[in-house]
Amino acid sequence: MNPTNPEKKAYRSMRSPRARAIRVAERVGLYAAVILVLVVVLIPYLWMVSGSFKTSLEIQSADITDPNLAPRWIPRTFTLDNYRNVNRTVRIMDYFRNSMIISVGTMVLCLALSILAGYALARFEFKGKGPYVLSLLVTQMFPGILFLIPYFILFVYINKWTGIQLKNTYQGLILTYSSFALPFSILMLRSFFANIPREIDEQAQIDGCTPVGALFRVIIPIARPGIAAVGIYAFIMSWNEILFASLLTGRATKTVAVGILEYITNQEARWAGMMAACIIVTIPVLVLFTLIQRHIVEGLVSGSVKG
Amino acid sequence: MEAQVRSRASAAVGRASRALAWRRTLPYLLIAPALLGTIFVHVIPIVWGVFISFRNLDIYTIANWRAAPFVGLANYLEALDLSDPDGVLFLRSVANVLYYGVVTITIGYVIGLAVALLLNQRFYGRTIVRGLVLLPYIMPDSVAYSVWRFIFQARVGIVNSFLMSLGLIKEPLVWLVGTRTMFSVMVASIWKGWPFASLLLLAGLQSVPRELLECASIDGANWWQRFRYVTWPHILPVTKTLLLLNILWNFNAYNQFKVMLGDDPGIYAEVPSTFVVRQAFDNLRYGMGAAMSVVLVLMMTVVAIIYLRTLKPGTSVED
Repeated sequence: MNPTNPEKKAYRSMRSPRARAIRVAERVGLYAAVILVLVVVLIPYLWMVSGSFKTSLEIQSADITDPNLAPRWIPRTFTLDNYRNVNRTVRIMDYFRNSMIISVGTMVLCLALSILAGYALARFEFKGKGPYVLSLLVTQMFPGILFLIPYFILFVYINKWTGIQLKNTYQGLILTYSSFALPFSILMLRSFFANIPREIDEQAQIDGCTPVGALFRVIIPIARPGIAAVGIYAFIMSWNEILFASLLTGRATKTVAVGILEYITNQEARWAGMMAACIIVTIPVLVLFTLIQRHIVEGLVSGSVKG
Repeated sequence: MEAQVRSRASAAVGRASRALAWRRTLPYLLIAPALLGTIFVHVIPIVWGVFISFRNLDIYTIANWRAAPFVGLANYLEALDLSDPDGVLFLRSVANVLYYGVVTITIGYVIGLAVALLLNQRFYGRTIVRGLVLLPYIMPDSVAYSVWRFIFQARVGIVNSFLMSLGLIKEPLVWLVGTRTMFSVMVASIWKGWPFASLLLLAGLQSVPRELLECASIDGANWWQRFRYVTWPHILPVTKTLLLLNILWNFNAYNQFKVMLGDDPGIYAEVPSTFVVRQAFDNLRYGMGAAMSVVLVLMMTVVAIIYLRTLKPGTSVED
C-alpha cells in the first residue's frame, strides 16, 4: 500500500458522514469535560460567595432533612450585613492590617536579601557557589514542622538573654517568612539576572560604575518585572502561612490565615461571617497572583521540567 | 623621572590588585545577609533541635535548656514505644499520613494528568480555562479548607444535601468527627492539589513535538500507543519531580488537618504534624516533640534517598 498523504486522508475522513458524526461527538465530549472540570473548580468558590450573602439565621436554621429548610445556592434573604459588620465578631480587619504589614515587610526584606544573593550567583564565580546553591534547594524542601519547636525556644531564649522580643511582633514574623521565601526567590532572581546580557552591565562598569553600582543602576531597572514577581511570591507566601503564625503571633499581630479560624468556636459557628471574611482574605491573593501568573508558572515549570 | 613612573605603575598595580581582591570578596558580601537569615531560621534551630531531643525540656526549663535533665534516648524510646499510648498514637499518625499521602498523591496526579491532556486539546476559550483551573491552587489554605469544612457540615453542608437528593443516604452523615474525617480531608486536599500537578504536566505535554505524534498516528499507532510511547517519555521527568515534591509536602501536611478538624483531629486523622505540635505546645513536652521531629526527618531522608536512588528524578528522555 502506498504511504497515505495525511492531509488527503484527513480531508477524506472529514467528508464521510460517519466520521463527521464521530468528530462532532468528540467535540461535544470535549466541551462537556471542560465544563465538568470548571464546575468542580468553582463549586467551593460559589458556595463561599453564596454563603457570604446569607443571613446567619438562614444558615443556622438550614437542615438538609427538611425540604423547606434545605441549603440553597441562592440566598433566601439577600444581605450585606456580613460585609458591613465584618470587624464586629472577629476583628478580621485588624488581622487584615497585621497581615498587610507582615506580608509587605516580608516582601521588602526578602527582596533586599535575594537581589544581592541572586546577583552574586548570576554574575560572579566564587568558591562554595555550588554547595550554596545545593543548600538552597535543600532548605526549600525542608518543611517547617521539623524546626518549629527549637525555633520557638530560640525566640524565648533571645528574649531572656537580650530582651529583644521576637514572638508576637511584626519583625519576628517578617524575619521568619523572609527566610522561608529566600531559596525560591534567590533561584528565581538568579535566572532573571542571568538572562540579562552580560555586556550591558560590563559596559556600565567600563563607563565607571562599580559592580554594586551596575546592579542598582542597570540590572535592577531591567529586571523589574522579575523582581515584582518574586516580591509578590513572598507576599502571598506570608499571607497564607498558618503553622508558624498560629504559634508566633498573639493578639496584637495575628494574621488573617489564623484569624479566620476564630469564627468557629465551641459555642457558635458563624458561617456567614466566615464566608465574607474568606472572600476578603482571598481577594488580595487573587489579584496579585493574576498579575504574576506567567512568571510564577514559568519559574515552577523551568525548575521542574528541566529537572 | 624614573621613580615617578615606577611609583605610578605600582599605584596602578595596587589599584588593580585591590579591584581584584574586591571582586573576590564581593560575592561573599552579597550572599552574607541571605546566608545569615538562613542560618538563624533554619540551621541553628535544626542543629539545636537535636540537642533538645535528648533532654526532658518542659515549661519550667524552657528558658534555660541546660537545667533540663539529660535523658539520653528516653524521648525517642517513648515515641516509638508501642506499650505507651503516646507511642501508639505517634506510629498511628505516621501510618495515617502514609495512607493520606498515597491516596491524595495518586488521585491528584491522575486527575491532574487527565485535565492536562484535556487542556492540551484545541478548543474555544482554552486560555481562560487554563487560568480558571488554577483557582483551587491560588485559594489560601485557611480559606479553602474553611470552605470545605462548611461544605462537609452534617446538617447545613452541601455534600449531604447532594447525597440525599440522589437518594444515596437517608440520614445526614457526620463527616468531620470520627471515622470519615480522613476521607473529608482527602477530598478537600485533592481539590486543592491537582491543579499544581496539571500545571506542570501541561508544560511537559507542550514539550512533545507535534510532528512526532502525527508520525505515530500515520504509522497506525492508536491513542494508547501514542500516549505510552510518545507522550509518556516526555512527561516522565516532570512526573518524577512532582512525586518527590508531593511526598515531601504531604508527609508534613498540617494546614488541612488543623483548619478542617482543629488542634486534635482524633485518632482516624491524626498526622505527625498535628501530634508534634500538640505534644510540644499543649502538653508542653518540648523535648518529646523535638525527638519526634528528628524521627520524622530521618524517615523523610530515608524515603527521599530510596526515591532518588530508584527513580532518579531529573533524568531526561535521552537516558
